[in-house]
Amino acid sequence: MTDTVGGVIAIGPVQLALATLFVVFVGVVSIRLSLGITKDLAWATARTYVQLLALGYVLRWVFRIDSPWLVVGLIVLMVLVATRILVRRSPDAPPGIFSGAFISMALTGFIVTFAVTGVIVQVDPWYLPQYVIPLAGMVVGNSMNGIALSLERVFSDLDAHDGEVLALLALGATPWEAAHGAIRGALRAGLIPTINSMAAAGIVFIPGMMSGQILAGADPVTATGYQIVVMLMVAAATALGSVVALLLTYRRRFSADGVYLEKGYRPDAR
Amino acid sequence: MPGDAGEVRVLDGVCFSLAAGEITDIVGPSGSGKTTLLRALARLLPGVSGELLLDGVPADRVLASTWRSQVALLPQKPAIVDGDVRANLLLPWTLKVRHGQTPPDTEHLDDALLGVALADIALDRDAARLSVGQQARVALLRVLLTRPRVLLLDEPDAALDDASSEAVAALTRLFVEGGGAVARVRHRRADGLAGRRMCLQAGHLDAEVKAS
Repeated sequence: MTDTVGGVIAIGPVQLALATLFVVFVGVVSIRLSLGITKDLAWATARTYVQLLALGYVLRWVFRIDSPWLVVGLIVLMVLVATRILVRRSPDAPPGIFSGAFISMALTGFIVTFAVTGVIVQVDPWYLPQYVIPLAGMVVGNSMNGIALSLERVFSDLDAHDGEVLALLALGATPWEAAHGAIRGALRAGLIPTINSMAAAGIVFIPGMMSGQILAGADPVTATGYQIVVMLMVAAATALGSVVALLLTYRRRFSADGVYLEKGYRPDAR
Repeated sequence: MPGDAGEVRVLDGVCFSLAAGEITDIVGPSGSGKTTLLRALARLLPGVSGELLLDGVPADRVLASTWRSQVALLPQKPAIVDGDVRANLLLPWTLKVRHGQTPPDTEHLDDALLGVALADIALDRDAARLSVGQQARVALLRVLLTRPRVLLLDEPDAALDDASSEAVAALTRLFVEGGGAVARVRHRRADGLAGRRMCLQAGHLDAEVKAS
């Protein structure tokens, strides 16, 4: 019943079906107790199947084709999708933040990923898909979460403290000076999950990538090295991405004359 | 001016001047746009069109931040930042617009607190723990210390008891005697300070009473 591929116990259709039984069980419980999560659960399970299977086949194909253009194109696609999710998750943000969010995600996605693969891991060739794509995925995914938190926070904070912003502007403050407190708070908010997971790593949980490598038969100490690199990389990407995204977007809540656009003064109110 | 309900004209054809050394009270029913008018004068109203001059110089000739440091609006809600009273009073000097100017020293600040009946408030007191009335006076003091040319007060004594509103009135008078111009939005009974009262109604401003 078990096949091994390269020392790893392979997951086949039977194993997948067995794993799905867990979810079916939860679904039955949900129906019995009318918890109302059955539909969401079924949908999420279906999406997991489709998306991850598709990913597996796409990656297999990308690894075989082995083209730098394809790798770069795939990262751009990841950034685009992440930007869309991010903008949708920031309902309080002013319209037109897409470009700022995209630039910040693309900058961090490329700089941090290639800094790690080129300088630290030194893969050869520089675009080696087995390394570049998973690392880029982690950079983009994590910085997306951080940036989304930062943007959500900065604009809700500015609205919550619009009286203070007005008073600062009335004293002659520039938009940057008036928004500085909110930007600082937003940066902290964006970084906290990353910092928390760094603090808890290895004590509370085995980080995902390290678990994966260990399951794939890697030596735990080798896996540790990669995990440390990845965690630092994610922290750097989150911080850099949040700073760039905040700098590129906060000004959109101010008029050209530097007036904060309070809720009643937004021509494009959403 | 554009608002959340499309194009709304809150102020229409308002034309007047403020004289140095005079206090002008702006009265009118609530919702008539008195606060909006003050914000427009301080260039703190988005999407407004009109002409503003200070000493004959058009507003668009100077930076918005410079204009606002000379035509100072004190919003109705006192905005107190984290930190002690000193940090709040010195806040304006942390801004780029006052780069190179010397902030007032401790002695000056203590004297200033005395002037708004806050002599018992130590400069290192946490500003967040002051009462609303005390905070309002700290906010007024903060603006006055920056020595603007024009002071726009939005209900400066709405949250104050009689004694402290007298202190605010005295400070306002002192500012005017020093050559400043003041526009006040007030709901309380006339306090005899204003040389002029204007009534804002349906977007129009009318000289209501010519006093002394």
